[in-house]
Amino acid sequence: MKALALLAVAPIDSSEQRKAAAAVGDLAAFELLIRQYERLVLVTALRLLGNMADAQDVSQEVFLRLYRNLGKLESQNLSGWLYRVTVNASHDLRRKRPATDPMEFASDVPAAGNDPQQSATEAERRRVLEMSLRMLSEKERAALVLRDLQGLSTQDVALALGSSEATVRSQVSKARVKVKDFMERYFRRRI
Amino acid sequence: MNCSNWEERIALYAGGDLGPSETAEVNQHLADCPDCRVLASGLKESLDLMRDAHAIEIAEPHLAAVRAGVLGTLEAQRLPWWRSAWVYGLAAVAVASFLVVSLLPRRQSDPIGAATVRERTVIEPAVTPVPVKAPPKLHRARAVRHRQPLPILPVAAPPEPGPPVVVKLLTDDPDVVIYWITDTSGE
Repeated sequence: MKALALLAVAPIDSSEQRKAAAAVGDLAAFELLIRQYERLVLVTALRLLGNMADAQDVSQEVFLRLYRNLGKLESQNLSGWLYRVTVNASHDLRRKRPATDPMEFASDVPAAGNDPQQSATEAERRRVLEMSLRMLSEKERAALVLRDLQGLSTQDVALALGSSEATVRSQVSKARVKVKDFMERYFRRRI
Repeated sequence: MNCSNWEERIALYAGGDLGPSETAEVNQHLADCPDCRVLASGLKESLDLMRDAHAIEIAEPHLAAVRAGVLGTLEAQRLPWWRSAWVYGLAAVAVASFLVVSLLPRRQSDPIGAATVRERTVIEPAVTPVPVKAPPKLHRARAVRHRQPLPILPVAAPPEPGPPVVVKLLTDDPDVVIYWITDTSGE
């Protein structure tokens, strides 16, 4: 209670303070922590799963796990922990709920422009990309998403996936070749 | 040229994952190999396409829904005990009702059971098992049937024997007189 009272008086402006406050049960501090990382978690889950409803379910699970583990987490690498838990929770959900229509991904995310022709082209690209990502194994997809779409270094991807850098490099290179082959085949057939 | 062993390195090269020395090696190979140049340009193109397609801007309502779900779950878990006391009260009422319902029929059935037993104890002395009387030896067929174990039939009460009746039958021969002794039932 004393800690809570002190934290309530002091302005919460850093990630560490938010973690400390949330760890002693301050939900307002935890909400600030969620706001800081929600985009990272939801976008990663969406890229791994391909539809918004599943990505939201996984994001909720990730933040609930974060709340339960706040006292045990190392202070340095919260985003690395969140990536790891997001990948694991996404894999768990995909095993329970098989993937649905890849068109969902295209319709879940609005196109940037107002031009209907451009929007249709973007939706088509997303759909093809989603289909190509489904060609990949679970680990290849996770490595590709974290490295090429989230922009993590090979070392960080290895940490998040709990594997070696050599394994990640191998997974990423195979995934890139598979995606390229799929897209080439798809667009060649369309032409 | 067989370039299958270059594929992995070219895929890493396309994503900028190689160190300076490896990058120089790949550049040298690409200068000599048109097929690998096509592979490298195709990989770069699909990577650009993938990054463009996944340049996702998540709308605020999607984020708000996640936040609300998480905080709602945590709020529900943090309910003070008295906010959920009605659940315990309801459970106690349910247990009490179950006990009352399970005990009540036994109380009602006890007098009935006792009455039944009493009735039986009253009746039983009256229903004394009486073996069926063996018929007279004259009826052979009946006598044979009665060699089997005799059934014990409940008989309400033995009939009161009436006074014996003696029937005297006269024949044409004055030396022959037939006496028939029987009870009032005529057996």
